Amino acid sequence: MNPKDECMNTDPPRGARLDAPVDAPVDAPVDAPVDAPLDTALDKALARVLPPPSPPPGFQARVNAALARAQLSDAGRAASRALALRDQRSQIAALDADYLRLRRRTLGTLIGGAFAAGAAVAVAYPYLQATFGPNAIFVLACVGALVGIGIGSASWIGRLRLISHLERRLGRL
Amino acid sequence: MHSAPADAQARDSDILALLQSGALEPAFQQVLARYQDKVYRLCRALLRDPTAAEDAAQESLVRIWKAIGSYDQRASLSTWIYAITRNRCLTAIERRRDLASLSDAAVEAEAHSLQQLQGELPGSAGGEPDDDAELLRELVDLLPERHRRTLTLFYYEDRSVSEVASMLGVPEGTVKTTLFRARAALAEQLRRRGLDDPRHWLETSR
Repeated sequence: MNPKDECMNTDPPRGARLDAPVDAPVDAPVDAPVDAPLDTALDKALARVLPPPSPPPGFQARVNAALARAQLSDAGRAASRALALRDQRSQIAALDADYLRLRRRTLGTLIGGAFAAGAAVAVAYPYLQATFGPNAIFVLACVGALVGIGIGSASWIGRLRLISHLERRLGRL
Repeated sequence: MHSAPADAQARDSDILALLQSGALEPAFQQVLARYQDKVYRLCRALLRDPTAAEDAAQESLVRIWKAIGSYDQRASLSTWIYAITRNRCLTAIERRRDLASLSDAAVEAEAHSLQQLQGELPGSAGGEPDDDAELLRELVDLLPERHRRTLTLFYYEDRSVSEVASMLGVPEGTVKTTLFRARAALAEQLRRRGLDDPRHWLETSR
C-alpha cells in the first residue's frame, strides 16, 4: 500500500470503541461518524501546518563537534586507564621483588646463624666440658634453648610493637 | 508483503555490511546521512521544544556513535537508533519534569489550555487561512500527548504509518488507532467551532 494512501483509510481501526458519549474528552474513543470529505480536507490542511522540521542551521557542525569531544574524552579515558594499568603492574612487580628479597634475607640469616652457632659451640664446648664435665652437653642445650627462646620472643615483641605502632598511626588518621 | 523492520533492514544493508567489516567510521557517516534528520524529527515530536530537541538529537547521535561497535543486529538498525533516541528524549522529559514545579503560572497555563480546548478560543469562522492554520496547529498542540506526537510524526514522516510505528516503538495498528482518534478529536473540535466545512480546509491547505 502506498504510504500516502494510508491516511485516506477512514475506517475505524480494529479495536476502536465506538460507544463514547458526544461530550467525551478528546482522548476518549469517539463515536462521531467519519466525515470523509472533511477528513480528506483536514489531512491536506494538517500536512500543510505540520511540515517536517529541518535541523537548525549549524546542527551538523555541532554534532561533529560533540562527536569529536566524545572521541577525545574516550581517548583520554583509554590513556588514563592504560597509565593506571601500567602503574599497577609496576607496583605488583616491586612488591614481588621485595618479597623475594625478604625471603633471601631470611634464608641468609638462618644459614649465617647456623654457622655462627656451630662456630660458637666448637669454641665453647671444650671450656664447658672442662667446667661441667659430662653435663656440658645439657648446659649447651639449655644455652641454645635460651638463645632460641630469646630470639623468638624478641621477634614477637618487635612484631607486636610494630602492630600497636601501626594501630596508633592508623587511629590518628 | 514485507514487514517494516525487514524493509528497513534491507534499506540499511550497506551500513550493516560496513559494520560487519569493522569499518565503524564510514558506517556511522552513513547512519548520520540517513538518520540525522529523522532523529531530529523524532526528538521534535517527542519534546516539542526545538532547543531541547536539538540537544536530545545531538546526545542521541553521540550515543549511537559510542555504541555502534556493539550493535548486534538483533533488532533492525532503524529500530535500534530510534530506541536510543526515545530513551534520550525520555531522559530529557524526566529532567524537565524534575525542574518544573506545579507553580501558579503552570497551573494557570494548564487551565488556559483547557479552556481553549473547551471552545473558549476566539471563534475563527470566516477568518483568514493563516488564522485557521494557526488554530489547527493549536488544536493539534492541545491533543493528548500520545495523539499529538503520533499525528505530528505521521505528517513529519510523509504519512508513513510503518515509519511512525518504528520510530515510536509501537505496532502499526496502534499508530492507525491513535491517528484515527486524533483526527476524529480534531474534527469534533472543528465541528464545535462551526469549521467543519471541507471546502474551508481545502482553501487553508492551499
